[in-house]
Amino acid sequence: MRTGTVVNYALLIIGSIVVAFPLLLALSYSLMSESEIATFPPPILPADPTLDNYGQVFATIPIGRYLLNSFVVSSAVVVGQLITASLAAYAFSFLVFRGRQLLFFLFLSTLMIPWEATIIPNYMTIRTIGWLDTYQGLAVPFMATAFGTFLLRQAFMQIPRELWDAARIDGATTFRFLISTVVPLSRPALGTVAIYGFLSTYNQYFWPLLITNQTLMRTTQVGITQLRFEETLRWGLVMAGVIMVAAPTLALLVLGQRQLIRGLTAGAVKG
Amino acid sequence: MRKFLGLALALTVVAAACGGAAPGGGSDSSALAPGKDVAPAASITWWHAMSGVNGDALNKIVTGFNSSQSKIKVEAIFQGTYDDLLAKLNTALASNAAPALVQVYDIGQRYMYDSGQVVPMQAFIDRDKFATTDFEPAVINYYKYQDKLQSMPFNASAPLLYFNKDAFKEVGLDPNKPPVTFTEIADAAKKLTKKDASGVTTRFGFGPSIYGWLFEQLLATSGALYADNGNGRDNRATKVVYNSAAGKAILDWWKAGVDGGYFYNPGIDNDGAANAFNAQKTAMYIESIARLRGHITTIAGKFELGTGLYPRPDSKPKEGGNIIGGASLYIMKSRPPAEQQAAWEFVKYAMTPAVQAQWQSDTGYYPIVKAAYDQGPSKEWSTKYPQFLTATTEIRESPQNRMTNGAVLGVMPQARQRTQKMIESVLLGQATSQAALDAAVTEMNAAIDKYNKANP
Repeated sequence: MRTGTVVNYALLIIGSIVVAFPLLLALSYSLMSESEIATFPPPILPADPTLDNYGQVFATIPIGRYLLNSFVVSSAVVVGQLITASLAAYAFSFLVFRGRQLLFFLFLSTLMIPWEATIIPNYMTIRTIGWLDTYQGLAVPFMATAFGTFLLRQAFMQIPRELWDAARIDGATTFRFLISTVVPLSRPALGTVAIYGFLSTYNQYFWPLLITNQTLMRTTQVGITQLRFEETLRWGLVMAGVIMVAAPTLALLVLGQRQLIRGLTAGAVKG
Repeated sequence: MRKFLGLALALTVVAAACGGAAPGGGSDSSALAPGKDVAPAASITWWHAMSGVNGDALNKIVTGFNSSQSKIKVEAIFQGTYDDLLAKLNTALASNAAPALVQVYDIGQRYMYDSGQVVPMQAFIDRDKFATTDFEPAVINYYKYQDKLQSMPFNASAPLLYFNKDAFKEVGLDPNKPPVTFTEIADAAKKLTKKDASGVTTRFGFGPSIYGWLFEQLLATSGALYADNGNGRDNRATKVVYNSAAGKAILDWWKAGVDGGYFYNPGIDNDGAANAFNAQKTAMYIESIARLRGHITTIAGKFELGTGLYPRPDSKPKEGGNIIGGASLYIMKSRPPAEQQAAWEFVKYAMTPAVQAQWQSDTGYYPIVKAAYDQGPSKEWSTKYPQFLTATTEIRESPQNRMTNGAVLGVMPQARQRTQKMIESVLLGQATSQAALDAAVTEMNAAIDKYNKANP
């Protein structure tokens, strides 16, 4: 048993090093000077760590503003998605109405439409209502999610029907039941939708590039391409930018993961 | 993402082609430009793909223009890489949101022409009798189709041989006489290759990246065509023709060097090739002059850097020479005449010798207007970094013909990628030179056919 644990941990440590290696190397490169990166064989750790590259990133692009933009947009999308998806999923799981099944499958079928196919119509809509270069233009098109609705519906279906009946008998309104019972019981699913929505919005590239023209409205992913010059690549600078952009999402994942795992396992075994 | 962009491009070409007829025809194209009396718009937008040092240099030109007069204000907007910019332009054209002026890379030329969304630069030149006699012929010829200038060259580059002078001295080669022909390079590379006690190579003589542009350049110095119809310049190309003796000779030379252990093969990796040269893992390599500035900064005196003329076959064919690279400026048809007028005013400003000299010393691209070399900043620059002048010498020595004008194809980005796959398969021994060339040509011809049918 003891040796088994040791072996398990050894394997896990090796595995995590392999998985984390690119990220750690990026961190290491971001602390090296350009001429150190260019030596051969390529060094793994900086001999003489320097924060120059980070200073350079600040000097080259308004990275603070880009991070702010990305956070505002991603948070707005998360809030929007949570509201629309939980309302829709609630209707699909608890309310009984004609054509519910058909409507749900219609909803799901939108998952099959690739986002790329809708780029031009979406762009034209946003342009017509004058939302180019605005936060709402960046966020609103993503505020409804078929995937999130599906996920939440599955989670809501797990909630015993008896609770619904009991709440109705006690005189709770439909909306009251959603707020006081369904939402608190579905925290892990809501958390998943939130994190998924946040990360996918944060990592968007083409849409923000398309609808923003002012430097100050750009998001991080578009912004850091300015660190990649057309003809020369400065790895240290690029890696410093990447670390600065990746750090907040990593923090979010680490914080969110505990919540997620706890939530997921809490309902797994009936207590 | 790349894949998707390619698809988006292909699709919107079709859409764009339905929108307007291609310009051209007649000896005087001035009718395509707005009348001379149209007052220029108060503000226009310019999309570009220059970031970092080059982006700053570009903004300096814009600021200079805006303060040089009070009627027109140019706003420069960075739109990502050349590919990103083109993808965004396509979307914008579909909804009439394109800017008045765009910077598009060299190989986007045919694509822009076929879009039918461009006012040819020649129209303004003819209308104003604007003199282009002082322009570098090699540069201006690259952007001409059927003798008409479609866009104004903006940042111009050329490929060079980069070599490590210290390594040359170390093995007894003359650092002032870099090798030029295929055999000279192979011989020098053999001498420059070093092995340690255990037989592992610590320095290769020569290490070019598998980069389609380099192959196009080698074909041009061999005096051979890449595509039919005069490299697609007399008429739209219908086939690629690089599976010739010249094409085979290039691949055989490259392959022999890699097999012989004196050429390093970094793979399809331009940055890798540059880094290997910086790290003195290779003593020579070939790349665009646009990388020179970066090399000077990174090498920072660790060794002496030399530049030489681009490699060519042993026979040094008279009709062989180099093709220019870089990007040019297009005035878009979808904007009102007043905006086109304003864009033209800016283009003229960017072509003045003083601005060109400043652009050269800020970026390292060579000037398009010859008079720029007489300007102070340019002179200081050339004294400080004489390596840059190799590019000027090289393009001036290149005879002007269809081979050295370079190929224009609607599917040029794709064609370039296909030649890279071809070179790789030869170097890895997966196919013989001729078989690889033939396979690439067959595949590209099908792609050209498809493109030509979609853009009648």
